[in-house]
Amino acid sequence: MTATHHDPPHTEYPAHFEPPHGPTWKAFFGPGIVRGAWMAGVGFVLGMLLVLVLRRWWGWEPYWKTDVILVVGGMVAAPLGFLGGIGAFDYWLYYISGRPTRPEDHSGHGAHSWKDYFRVNTDHKVIGIQYLVTTFVFFTIGGLMAMFFRAELAQPGLQFVDSQTFNGLVSVHATLMIFLFIIPAFAGLANFAVPLMLGAPDMAFPRLNALSFWLLPIAGVMFVSSFLAPGGAFGAGWTGYAPLAEGQPLGQTFFNMGVQWAGASSILTALNFLVTIITMRAPGMTFWRMPLLVWANFTTSLLVVIATPFIAGSQFFVMFDRIMHTSFFTPEGGGYVLGYQHIFWFYSHPAVYIMMLPGFGIVSEVISSMSRKPIFGYRLMALSLMGILVLGFSVWAHHMFIAGMADWLRVPMMITTLLIAIPTGIKVFSWVATLWRGRIHLNTPMLFALGFVTMFVIGGLSGVYLGSVPIDIAASDTYFIVAHIHYVLFGGSVFTIFAGIYYWFPKMTGRMYSERLGKWHFWLTFVSFNATFFPMHYVGLRGMPRRVFDYDEAFGDLNFVISIASFVLGASFIVFVYNIVTSWVRGPIADANPWRAHTLEWQVSSPPPIFNFDEIPQVVGGPYEYGVPGARHAIMSPGREAKEAEEVHA
Amino acid sequence: MRKGIVQLVAIGVVIGVLVTLVAVLFQWLPTSASEEFDRIQDIYWFATIMSIVIFSVVVAVVVYSVWKWRVPADDDLDGPPIHGNTGLEIVWTAVPAILVIALGIVSAFVLSKNGEAGNRPLEVKAIGQQFAWKFEYSDYGNFTTGELVLPVDREARFTMESVDVIHSFWVPNFGQKMDAVPGIETSILVTPTRTGEFAVVCAELCGLGHATMRAKARVVTQNEFDQWVKENRA
Repeated sequence: MTATHHDPPHTEYPAHFEPPHGPTWKAFFGPGIVRGAWMAGVGFVLGMLLVLVLRRWWGWEPYWKTDVILVVGGMVAAPLGFLGGIGAFDYWLYYISGRPTRPEDHSGHGAHSWKDYFRVNTDHKVIGIQYLVTTFVFFTIGGLMAMFFRAELAQPGLQFVDSQTFNGLVSVHATLMIFLFIIPAFAGLANFAVPLMLGAPDMAFPRLNALSFWLLPIAGVMFVSSFLAPGGAFGAGWTGYAPLAEGQPLGQTFFNMGVQWAGASSILTALNFLVTIITMRAPGMTFWRMPLLVWANFTTSLLVVIATPFIAGSQFFVMFDRIMHTSFFTPEGGGYVLGYQHIFWFYSHPAVYIMMLPGFGIVSEVISSMSRKPIFGYRLMALSLMGILVLGFSVWAHHMFIAGMADWLRVPMMITTLLIAIPTGIKVFSWVATLWRGRIHLNTPMLFALGFVTMFVIGGLSGVYLGSVPIDIAASDTYFIVAHIHYVLFGGSVFTIFAGIYYWFPKMTGRMYSERLGKWHFWLTFVSFNATFFPMHYVGLRGMPRRVFDYDEAFGDLNFVISIASFVLGASFIVFVYNIVTSWVRGPIADANPWRAHTLEWQVSSPPPIFNFDEIPQVVGGPYEYGVPGARHAIMSPGREAKEAEEVHA
Repeated sequence: MRKGIVQLVAIGVVIGVLVTLVAVLFQWLPTSASEEFDRIQDIYWFATIMSIVIFSVVVAVVVYSVWKWRVPADDDLDGPPIHGNTGLEIVWTAVPAILVIALGIVSAFVLSKNGEAGNRPLEVKAIGQQFAWKFEYSDYGNFTTGELVLPVDREARFTMESVDVIHSFWVPNFGQKMDAVPGIETSILVTPTRTGEFAVVCAELCGLGHATMRAKARVVTQNEFDQWVKENRA
C-alpha cells in the first residue's frame, strides 16, 4: 500500500505516483470493494485460526466448533476485514502508524460516476444516497419475504414452506424492515438534509459518517444469509425472546450478531448528528430557529444513543447463553426469563419512536411548505418531540402486560403509555391546523404526508386501545397487534419516507420525478395498504394469534383477501421504483427550489455544491415564515450583502 | 365563514356515521363467554367512541381543507401567516389528556376487578409444553387432561407453568390471556358465563408447532362437570 491510493479516485495521478504494476494491481490492493472482499476472507481465516489455536492451547475438545468459529471468524473478523479493505480505517491507520495522512481537503467529496457510490466517501450527500439506495434494496427483499408468507397464509394449513422457514421469513422480514429499512432510511434522509438545513458544509465527523454507513450492509447481509445456515434462518421473531431463541438453530446467532453491527451503525450516526446539530449550526441558527426535521433528528439521536446499548446487551446475553453456556435467561441455571424482555423492550420501545420521530420531522417540512403556511405552534411541536423522548423511556413494559411481570407495574406503565397520546395528539392537531386556510399544493409528497396523518391517527388510536391493560390482555399477541404496528410503521413511517424521498428528490438528483406516476404510486399504495392491514384488526380480535402458518378455517376467506391486497401493495412499489429510476436517469432538470421552501437546503443549487454553501449563511429568522411580508430565514451571502449595503451608503 | 363551518361539520358527521357503521355492522369482538370479557368489552366501546370522534374530527378537517383550499401547481401565493393559537393549543392538549386519563381510570378499575379472586375459585393448572396444553385439576387429586372443562358461572383460577419456552394461554371468548413462563408462576382468573365449546390457543410464538398448539375448552353445567370429574379422576 502506498500513499497514492489515498488520492481521490477521479483525479489524475502524477506520473511518478503511478503504481508499478498497472491498474490490476491497483484494483487489488487499493481501497475498494475488491480489497474489501479478499480482506474479508483473510479476516475470516485469521478469526478461525485464533479460535483453533486458543481451543488447542486450553485443550478444549472438540477444537473445531462451528458456531464459535462462525461468530469469531465470520461475524467479527470478516466484517472488520471488509471494512479495512474498502478503506474505512485507512486514515486512522495512517495516522496511528505515523505515516503522512491525506490532509482533510474533502477531496473525496461528491460522486462523479455510479462507481463512486461503492467507495468510502465522506460527503454527507453521497452517504445519504448510499443509505437510501441500500435501505431500499433491503426493503425490496423484506417485502418479497412478506409476499411469500402472505402466499402461504392465503389458506389455512401448510402449502409452500415448512414451519421453520415460515418462522424464519416472518422474523427476517421484520428484522430487515426495522433495522435495515426504516431506521437507516431516516438516517439517510437526515444525512442528506440536516447539514444543509443547518448551514453546515458537512457532518461533524465525515469519516465516522462513512464508517457508520458501511457497517449497515454487513448487518443486512448477516440477516439475509441466515437462511443459508444449517437449520434455517432465525425463527424466534424479531423480538427473539429467550428461552425460545436460545434453543434455536445456528441462524439465531446471525440475528444476535447482525443487531450488533446495525446497532453500532445507529449509535455512531446518532452521535454524529448530535455533535453536528449542537456545534455546526450556522450563525444565527438558534435552537428555536431550527427546522423541525432537525429537531426531530436531535431527539431521535438522543433516543438512539441512550437506548441502543440495551438491545446490544440483550443479544450478547442470549448469544453467551447459546454458545458459552452461561445462563442469563435460562431458569435451570438461575437465570431470569423476563429479564430478557425488560432489557429488550427498554430499547425496542424507544425504537418505535426512533422509527417515528424523523417521520414527524419530514411531515412538518412537507405540510408547511405545501400549504404555504408557517407550521402551527412551532415551539409546542418541538417541545412535544422532547415530551415523547422523555415519556418514551417510561413505557417499555406495556409490551409485557401479559408476560407475567410484577402486577403492580402494569397500571403505572398504562398511565405513561396513555399520556404519550397527548404530545402525539398535539402534533397531529398542529399539522391539521397548518392546513387550515393554507394554499394547498396536493402533489406527491403532500399526498403521502396527508396519507400519513390519517393512517397514523388510526395506528395511534389502536395504540390507545392497546395501552389499556384489560383490552391489551385480550388483544395482545394477535393480528390486532400486526395491524397496529403496520398502521404505525407502514402507514406512519414508510409513508413519511416516501414523502421525504419525493420531497428531496429534486434536491438530491437535480431532476424532477414524474408527478403522474407519483400520484399513481400514492393511491395504489394507500388503497392496498388499507385493504391489507385493516381487516387484520378484525381477525386478531376474533381470535387469530400472530406468527402462525396455520389458523382456524373461519379466517380463511379474509386471509385470502388480505393476501391478494398485499400483492397489490407489493406491486405498487414497482411504480415507485420505475418512477425514481427513470426520473433519476432522464427526468426533467429541477429548479433549485421547486417548492419555494424557506429552509436552507433549497437556497442552494440542485444538487448542492460540493461544500454546500459558497459562503456560510447568516440565519435571521424562523424556517417557516410563509406569508410574512419580507420575512427571511437566512441571508445566503452575508459578506456580499454587507458589501453591497456599504456601497449603497457610500 | 358560517357556511364553511356548516360544511365542515357536515363532512365530520358523514365520516363519523360511516366509521360508526363499520364499528357496529361487523362483530369485531368474539361473543363474550366470561364476566371478565364483559367488562373488557365495556372499555372497548368506551375507546371506540373516543376513537370515532377523534378520527372523524381529524379526517374531516383534512378533507375539508384540501377540498376548500387546494390550489393549482402554478399558484405562487402564500397562505395567511398564522403561527399558532394558544387557546386552541391548550384545548387540544387538555381534551385528549382528560380522555386518556378517563380511559386509564376505567381500565385500572376493570383490571383490579378482573384480578380479584372470589371465595375459593376452582384451581386449574395450565401447563404449556411444545406443542400442547395440559390441564391439571389440583382440587380433584391432580388429574390431568388435554381438554379443558369448566363449570359455568364458577370462577376458575388458572396457574400457568411452562416446561420449555414461553407459551401464552388464550381463550378468545374469555378475553383473558397470560403467558406461561419457565421458572415463574403466573395466573389469571376466568368466570365462564355461557356453556359451549371454545378454542384454547397458544398466543406466544413457541417454535415449529406454535400454530398447531391448540386445545378445546368446554364449559358445562356444574352437574356435568362433577360427572366429568368422576370419570376422569380414577
